[in-house]
Amino acid sequence: MQKSKFLPRGRKDRTVVLVDIRETKSAKAADLFLQVRPGKDFEMLTILRAMIKGEHVTDDQVAETGLTTDVLQDLIERMKKAKFGVMFFGMGLSMTRGKHMNAAALLTLAAEMNAFTKFVAMPMRGHGNVTGADVIMRWQTGYPFGISFNRGYPRYNPGEFSTVDILVRGDTDCAFIIGADPGATMPRPAIEHLAKVPTIVLDPHVTHTSRLSRVHITTAPAGIAAPGTGYRMDEVPMPLRPALNSPYPSDEEVIRRIKEAIAEKPDWMTDQPQMIFSQV
Amino acid sequence: MELKVIENATCTFCGCVCDDIELHADDVRIHQAKRACVLGKAWFLNHTAEHKYPDALIDGQPATLEEAIQVAADHLYQADMPLVYGMSNTTCEAQRECVEMADLLGALLDSHTSL
Repeated sequence: MQKSKFLPRGRKDRTVVLVDIRETKSAKAADLFLQVRPGKDFEMLTILRAMIKGEHVTDDQVAETGLTTDVLQDLIERMKKAKFGVMFFGMGLSMTRGKHMNAAALLTLAAEMNAFTKFVAMPMRGHGNVTGADVIMRWQTGYPFGISFNRGYPRYNPGEFSTVDILVRGDTDCAFIIGADPGATMPRPAIEHLAKVPTIVLDPHVTHTSRLSRVHITTAPAGIAAPGTGYRMDEVPMPLRPALNSPYPSDEEVIRRIKEAIAEKPDWMTDQPQMIFSQV
Repeated sequence: MELKVIENATCTFCGCVCDDIELHADDVRIHQAKRACVLGKAWFLNHTAEHKYPDALIDGQPATLEEAIQVAADHLYQADMPLVYGMSNTTCEAQRECVEMADLLGALLDSHTSL
């Protein structure tokens, strides 16, 4: 592992704490493994927030999370002693009971740790440029995801405008999917709704989602045959250096052409008033 | 067929986005991805420049790109509440176009982050 001016002994100068509901292979690589009871992330994070401030928490309250007061006290001491702490979190937090409230609790804990030492929180990313999507949406709309433009200006509300919820409720009547394969990963009711409505897919391969879509357009794979920019998980932008020339157009070109074809049609806000206007 | 070497290529398979990959490629495929991990190697070596799939499919039938663009635009325009979703395995430039299209449509806009 990288040795640096502040961490001259590399891995030995670092502490890795793993929190999970089961002992995974990553536990071997960690210094400390905390096995939290499933669905008790929010309780554990809230207890930690109380304990770092020296608030009293009963042993029973701690026991509910599957951990002990001593273990948490030890964790807090390590956290406060750290020069720079990072909390990485993934879908185990955001897709279990409590959903984005769990992520909110973790972000608050990270913010509150800054009263003692430098701490940040960072979502773990599965796919290439999810971070880029966050950054671009933040730059263009002010919000990172879960956005609705249906009043003509951007509004943000995860739970209402997040894709799984929209599809499970059956709210959308046309889906445009790019660089993702929800047909292979999303819950069944969401996939069933995708198959019901006209779905448009842009992908270098014919995917599960393509098979249930009305329109599939093959595009050049980004970073392999299409140039551009990709964001690393820690929000550092990287230029892509494609090695191949694809016979297919890039995503960028196809979306621009679809956008131009839409722009030629009459404005929807004046010509086709949506429900929000008839309600007023 | 000429063999190219691309230094400091960027791998976009996972969120780490390693940018020190050395790629050895000819016109059709990448033969070697030095310094890439198991996932990165599979990512680079499994994509080719072959014309493997039709340019576009409309209702499962092969179609031209221009037809598919028109049909896609019609579907999106006619929808009351279209959804623009994904944007993970694509470039920032394409993501920006997605935001503009969603704005134009009055659409819902979301990425993998909400999962």
